[in-house]
Amino acid sequence: MAGKLLMALAITGGLAAGAAGAWMMAGKGMGRADIVNGPWTTSLTFGTEATDAATRASVARRGLLALPSTETIYWQASVDSDGKPLDGNCTYAMTGAALDARWWSITLYDKAGYLFANPARIWSFSGASITPAEQTGWQVSVSPDKPTAGHWLPSVKGKPFDLTLRMYNPGQSLRAAPAKSVLPVLKRERCA
Amino acid sequence: MNGKLLALGAFVVSGILGYVGAQQAIPRVIMATAVKRMAERGGINTMAHGAIATPENQPIVRPSPDLAYSSCPFDVSKGPVRVNAVPVAGRYSSLSIFDGMTDVAFVRNDIQAKGQPYAIVIARDGQVTPPGAEVVRVAHDRGIALIRLLLANPAEIGQLEAVRRQSGCEPLQPSP
Repeated sequence: MAGKLLMALAITGGLAAGAAGAWMMAGKGMGRADIVNGPWTTSLTFGTEATDAATRASVARRGLLALPSTETIYWQASVDSDGKPLDGNCTYAMTGAALDARWWSITLYDKAGYLFANPARIWSFSGASITPAEQTGWQVSVSPDKPTAGHWLPSVKGKPFDLTLRMYNPGQSLRAAPAKSVLPVLKRERCA
Repeated sequence: MNGKLLALGAFVVSGILGYVGAQQAIPRVIMATAVKRMAERGGINTMAHGAIATPENQPIVRPSPDLAYSSCPFDVSKGPVRVNAVPVAGRYSSLSIFDGMTDVAFVRNDIQAKGQPYAIVIARDGQVTPPGAEVVRVAHDRGIALIRLLLANPAEIGQLEAVRRQSGCEPLQPSP
């Protein structure tokens, strides 16, 4: 009797632990984001039947209703260009040029994937934010404090965050070699 | 001792099965929940034109604050559903159809549509569809048709409201 009870507990506990582990892993990132470009990672199989079960589960939890890469490439960054976690106590200089897509935007999310409340009500920086002169080079300050000049993407003091770079209708060269495409650089300038 | 080892083995094997099973179930469960929530707000087989994503309005994870979303949670168990999409001149928009496992069964943007309105019929295999209709076959009864419309800034939503409301969805056969 005790043996049967132990076995039942082992099976129940195992199933529960396995399911909890899968749920936790699915919430950690965007699955097998196998393409790395500086701090940015992505996969070309998001939203398709070709994607593996782990990535599909992660996308369901972290990026539901993501489009396939033929339409949009979604890059995620949770670290800066030196590999340090993105931190709301720090100021980052994000620099880049016009990106190889019809339209692009960079959105700042909390670690659960939701927009932060911020008094400026700014949550993204996009191709529409830059002037024609900035097509060859732009800079935005990612910081909890508004810079004295220039573009600003607000973070929240004390809160870690992630960035999502969406590239709608990606160019052919980007799709052919995403790991070699020129993407924004995230340089940590200072921390409080 | 043997009993304890056996239990340990059962725990490990059950853990692996639980992990793999949950991994398969997560997309289906999350999608079903998303369809249910959307249907509660706007109805099933009906297009709802959502407000711009803000911290106060985030119906799904990782919403883009630069896009206006219109969503049609669909259920083709009682017959096909038609989606009408009307692109807005000169700006990015797309219609995508997600099946019950979160996979994209169809996507078309405004350039591919040549800026012209079009209609798609969503149906299961074997369902009869109107002659000449462009049909997207899905592997599950329920899913979501989603229209994304790019805004240069959030204030634009007011002036685009009338155009985006020309897109919609409806069942082809009324429910009995």
